[in-house]
Amino acid sequence: MVLEALEREGVEYIFGYPGGANLPIYQHLHEHPHLKHILVRHEQGAAHMADGYARACGKPGVVFATSGPGALNLVTGLCTAYMDSVPMIAITGQVVSTQVGRDAFQESDVIGATSSVTKHSYLVTKIGQLPRVIHEAFHIATTGRPGPVLIDICKDVQQAEAERVNTEYLEIPGYRLNGHVDLEGARQAAHALARAERPVILAGHGVLLSHAERELMQLAEAAAAPVGTTLLGIGAFPVKHPLSLHMTGFMGTGWCLKAVQNADVLMMVGMRVDDRVTAKLSEFAPNVKTFIHVDIDPSEMGKNVRPHIELVADARLALEAMLPHIDKLQADRGKWLAQIDAWREEHPLRYQRSNGKLQPQDVLIDMYRRAKSEAIIVADVGQNQIWAALWWNYDRPGLFINSGGSGTMGFALPAALGAKFGRPDLPVWCVAGEGGFVMTAQELSVAVEHQLDVKIVLLNNFSLGMVRQFQDDFYGGVRSQVDMTHMPDFVKLCEAYGLPALRVEKFEEIGPSFDAAERTKGPFLIDFRIDPEANVYPIVPLGKGLNEFREAPEYA
Amino acid sequence: MLKAAPPALRATSPQVGRSDNSKIRVLSLLVEDGQNTLTKVSGVLRRRGFHVRGISVGPSRQPGRSRITLEIDHGHAEADQVRKQLERLVEVLEVEDLTGDDLHNRELVVATVAASEVQALLERGAKVLSTGADGTTVEFSGGADEVSGFVDELTRHGIVDVVRSGPVVMRRTA
Repeated sequence: MVLEALEREGVEYIFGYPGGANLPIYQHLHEHPHLKHILVRHEQGAAHMADGYARACGKPGVVFATSGPGALNLVTGLCTAYMDSVPMIAITGQVVSTQVGRDAFQESDVIGATSSVTKHSYLVTKIGQLPRVIHEAFHIATTGRPGPVLIDICKDVQQAEAERVNTEYLEIPGYRLNGHVDLEGARQAAHALARAERPVILAGHGVLLSHAERELMQLAEAAAAPVGTTLLGIGAFPVKHPLSLHMTGFMGTGWCLKAVQNADVLMMVGMRVDDRVTAKLSEFAPNVKTFIHVDIDPSEMGKNVRPHIELVADARLALEAMLPHIDKLQADRGKWLAQIDAWREEHPLRYQRSNGKLQPQDVLIDMYRRAKSEAIIVADVGQNQIWAALWWNYDRPGLFINSGGSGTMGFALPAALGAKFGRPDLPVWCVAGEGGFVMTAQELSVAVEHQLDVKIVLLNNFSLGMVRQFQDDFYGGVRSQVDMTHMPDFVKLCEAYGLPALRVEKFEEIGPSFDAAERTKGPFLIDFRIDPEANVYPIVPLGKGLNEFREAPEYA
Repeated sequence: MLKAAPPALRATSPQVGRSDNSKIRVLSLLVEDGQNTLTKVSGVLRRRGFHVRGISVGPSRQPGRSRITLEIDHGHAEADQVRKQLERLVEVLEVEDLTGDDLHNRELVVATVAASEVQALLERGAKVLSTGADGTTVEFSGGADEVSGFVDELTRHGIVDVVRSGPVVMRRTA
């Protein structure tokens, strides 16, 4: 019943793990050859794989887990998807309906545990509910602001037979979609942008989710307004475009932060305006006279920054509606754009390249030279994530995947494997630190089993680099519990799992190691022993305003 | 059988007199009946840092749907966030923000007092439900201030037990 419904929804892959309470579903899996089941090694891996799959190909990722510990192991993965608005369907087994509430073996209150990290959830105790629930779940997960939906199905329901019900017709009175654009608001927003002296547009994940990149480009060019992206908005606007400010936020580029702090009109599209974007809220964009906020979720309006003009709408439709109203620019943009160029010169991205140690930026620059825009980069969380965000010129959407809102360490490897299932036509690179990598390294088995052509770039500094940098800079230089000693020999670890790997300690070895990786079909890992003191710059000290960003020292 | 009142029971709810009323939103929700609905509503309120000052739940006119009346302190969030966050729930069909409107805002209180002479309570409009060796049980309904005033009056009669219903609110049409 469950599997038939998934087939009807067009599901291709299921990332899952069987157990006592979902055995009735697994019993019939072999009867559905169109559903390819990927057996993970830990349920968290399944959730991240489904997440990476969904972000790479746009279809909802589907996860199976059993009751109790199986379902609870999904929580981190659900939260990761929820924070970043990723469509996902998690189907968990629950104990027999008459046992619910009796502390049965492997029983847990999955709905209670996941309510705050799912867009919606269902407990199915009667077979009659099932077809409707599954169809509704896919609708809710994939429409509006996407998100994970969990369906907890009692074991007896999984075994029950039911008439096939017509599920074409959906009636979900409590589910509101906000697709329509307030045309008057769009006109006002366009006028404000056209009349601005110092406009800035910031683009978030919503631009990618609504495929509004073309409209964003048209609007930015028509209004001659520079565009920065959030970490999750990377790819919404080409980094090499003359109007690009690259990334914003408390680890954004100096020229972007200067532009935001000096803007008089700031338009924020498809983003939550969270603390990582604003840094100290009271000092965020202090010269802005008109905040324009475009987002499909009405609860984002004024959650952090109260906009003067709000457009609750799909980003693409909103930008489309604004376009015809950008006619004559009242202010000459020459001065403003020249000022931004000056800031770009004044605050370039730079790094230490003369101390004889292997620098992570050199690794990424070499990768970019090879891959250009033809590869998906899946980053973990920490310094590796910001390096991968800043030192790569993303010029198309969908090429940079990372856990932005939740900041889940251990995300990269399983998400990269999921991305490869979703986009087998594109090279997939996983960039991770050794700390996050070992949190989900067991999923190497999946890479080897399916001979997934995923190249793993381990930026190994034998420490929790971002935490170490925070301790050095913001916590009095007291290094506490950041040394990752007693890590495995990663080359041998890979050998044990059955994939080839190399260790790289010198700059000269970067190129040959990538050559070897590219020659190899299937998974490959390179253990880059990077400078343990390498830092992420620019960075805004915790609790400070964006204009107080610290830059990399001027290296000799 | 009524149990003896805990000695620390205060006549007036300590929150009533002290709170910053400008942060209180009065909301009326129409929700789908279901085992998860109340959990999800209260989960959102807790997670977003809102404080429930009063809540009452009862069936609505529509079968399968209930009416929840909430009095919420929205804390440091924008006032409108309470409504918007509740509207995100699929189980919630309708949220009406009644704050500041002309309302019938009623609450029911049932109390047992030690005294058998309860004329002063009856004069306020209370009704006797039962009398016995343990005392007299009365009911009273009114606006929040009236109910608080009534509870103050109860203390003079020796409260054995008191229960308040939480608010039931409707917009005044006439």
